[in-house]
Amino acid sequence: MQEFLQLVLSGIATGGIYASLALALVLIYNAMGLVNFAQGEMAMLATFVGYALITRGMSFWIAFPVTLVLAFGGGIVIQRVVIKPVEKAPVLTLVIITLGLATLVNGLAGFIWGYLPRTFPSPFSSDSVDLGGVFVSYRDVGVIAVTGVVLLCVYLLLQHTTVGLTLRAAAHHPEASRLLGVHVSWMLALGWGLASAVGAVSGMMVAPVLFLEPNMMQTIIIYAFAAAVLGGIESPLGAVVGGLIVGVTINLAGAYLPGVGGDLQLAVGLAIIIVVLILKPNGLFGQAAVRRV
Amino acid sequence: MTALLELEEVHAGYGPTSVLHGVSLSVPEGGVVSLLGANGAGKTTTLRAITGGVRWTGDIRFAGRSLRRMPTEEIVRRGIAHVPEGRGICTELTVDENLKLGSHLRRDGPEVRKDYDRVFEYFPVLKERRRLSASTLSGGEQQMLAVARALLMRPRLMLLDEPSLGLAPMVVRSIFEIIRTINQTSNVAVLLVEQNARIALEMSSSAYVLEVGRVAVHGAGSELQDNESVRRSYLGY
Repeated sequence: MQEFLQLVLSGIATGGIYASLALALVLIYNAMGLVNFAQGEMAMLATFVGYALITRGMSFWIAFPVTLVLAFGGGIVIQRVVIKPVEKAPVLTLVIITLGLATLVNGLAGFIWGYLPRTFPSPFSSDSVDLGGVFVSYRDVGVIAVTGVVLLCVYLLLQHTTVGLTLRAAAHHPEASRLLGVHVSWMLALGWGLASAVGAVSGMMVAPVLFLEPNMMQTIIIYAFAAAVLGGIESPLGAVVGGLIVGVTINLAGAYLPGVGGDLQLAVGLAIIIVVLILKPNGLFGQAAVRRV
Repeated sequence: MTALLELEEVHAGYGPTSVLHGVSLSVPEGGVVSLLGANGAGKTTTLRAITGGVRWTGDIRFAGRSLRRMPTEEIVRRGIAHVPEGRGICTELTVDENLKLGSHLRRDGPEVRKDYDRVFEYFPVLKERRRLSASTLSGGEQQMLAVARALLMRPRLMLLDEPSLGLAPMVVRSIFEIIRTINQTSNVAVLLVEQNARIALEMSSSAYVLEVGRVAVHGAGSELQDNESVRRSYLGY
């Protein structure tokens, strides 16, 4: 039982990381009906930027918000420079562009920092605390706290501010929003900035666990896809719940299902995507797509 | 009366299909003007040209300034509220959030609150359903929400595209009553596109009848109402 609880808790911690990246995917999906395949690579690049700041002597807790701000700005620049000129192109064109962007960002990081894995300092102590027989590592608690706070901030921004309201309106009803004076194009840029910053959180949190290298996010993005699909690709809340479910499921499957630990873990993520798409294509929190003719 | 909105020889269309072939009309400050005509005559396209939803040539002036090349967001911010075909309600949002989108650009807090009170006085049902998703409203209630939201923008001109479409006659009556009240108490000019010519002419100071992208008849509201040949050939009643 104790082992089970420990696995669940560390599953929630990794789930929070998947949830952040899944939320980034959902934010962009809502804004343009498109899965941004470069999301993971953008998070990886932001993490390298954070790494550069930390190795130059900045403390983690200053480098973290600075990185998020830089990632936010970077997301806006990418939207303005790469996405905006092709905004009205067919979805398939946009998908290819985000795939190209992923390759480009990956190559850029490799060119600057090389492909040798580096250790990324964890801001949390590696000790554990004994909670009635369940050993909880400070790392897990720290990751849960940080991702929890970030997700809460995004929720408050989207649901309880005017900017959040216009962001949601612009995403779902661009034409009607324009008629209400909303600068829809800038709202899309803001959505990219926000997604980029939220994605950077997942990179900064996962880097101390994995090693930092240009391909670091390539497995994480699969789990984030699984989380987003499970929650319903249009639902921010779904992304978070989906992330936690995927994190816990993978942790438990790795421990209790023979042969699933290690290499086969990724297969569990892909299996989740397939099963959800077959059984409940709109996910847990998604609404069935209804079109009035 | 000075013209608040003026269209001069406006040509517009979608891609290679041109819909408007030189439409000229004007809406005076505080006036109510109807735009009538059969389906496909170009009524909706005229409204869309005004708020920059379709490419046009010729000239459109609002409050003395040309709207040429101005993006929709800027045109709207100058004081034109456009209630589009299909009402443009954000169904993912609540009633309250839809209303907030109407007032989100305003910085005159106390006046905004007064306008909310006024809107809820006109449409009490919206106050009851504030917290509900706009998708749960009936067609008539959604039309009320669209008009209420436009009113909260505190526009100088409202463009209304078929406010009666798909609504029960009783509901149509009450919505037109309120539009008339809004026009009279707040001095908001109205350019009204309607299929229901009879009810539109009753409240209009002047009217234009479009026929395949051109103004076929223009006159005072009462004049058109009394002219039997115009009624028969263009308005169908």
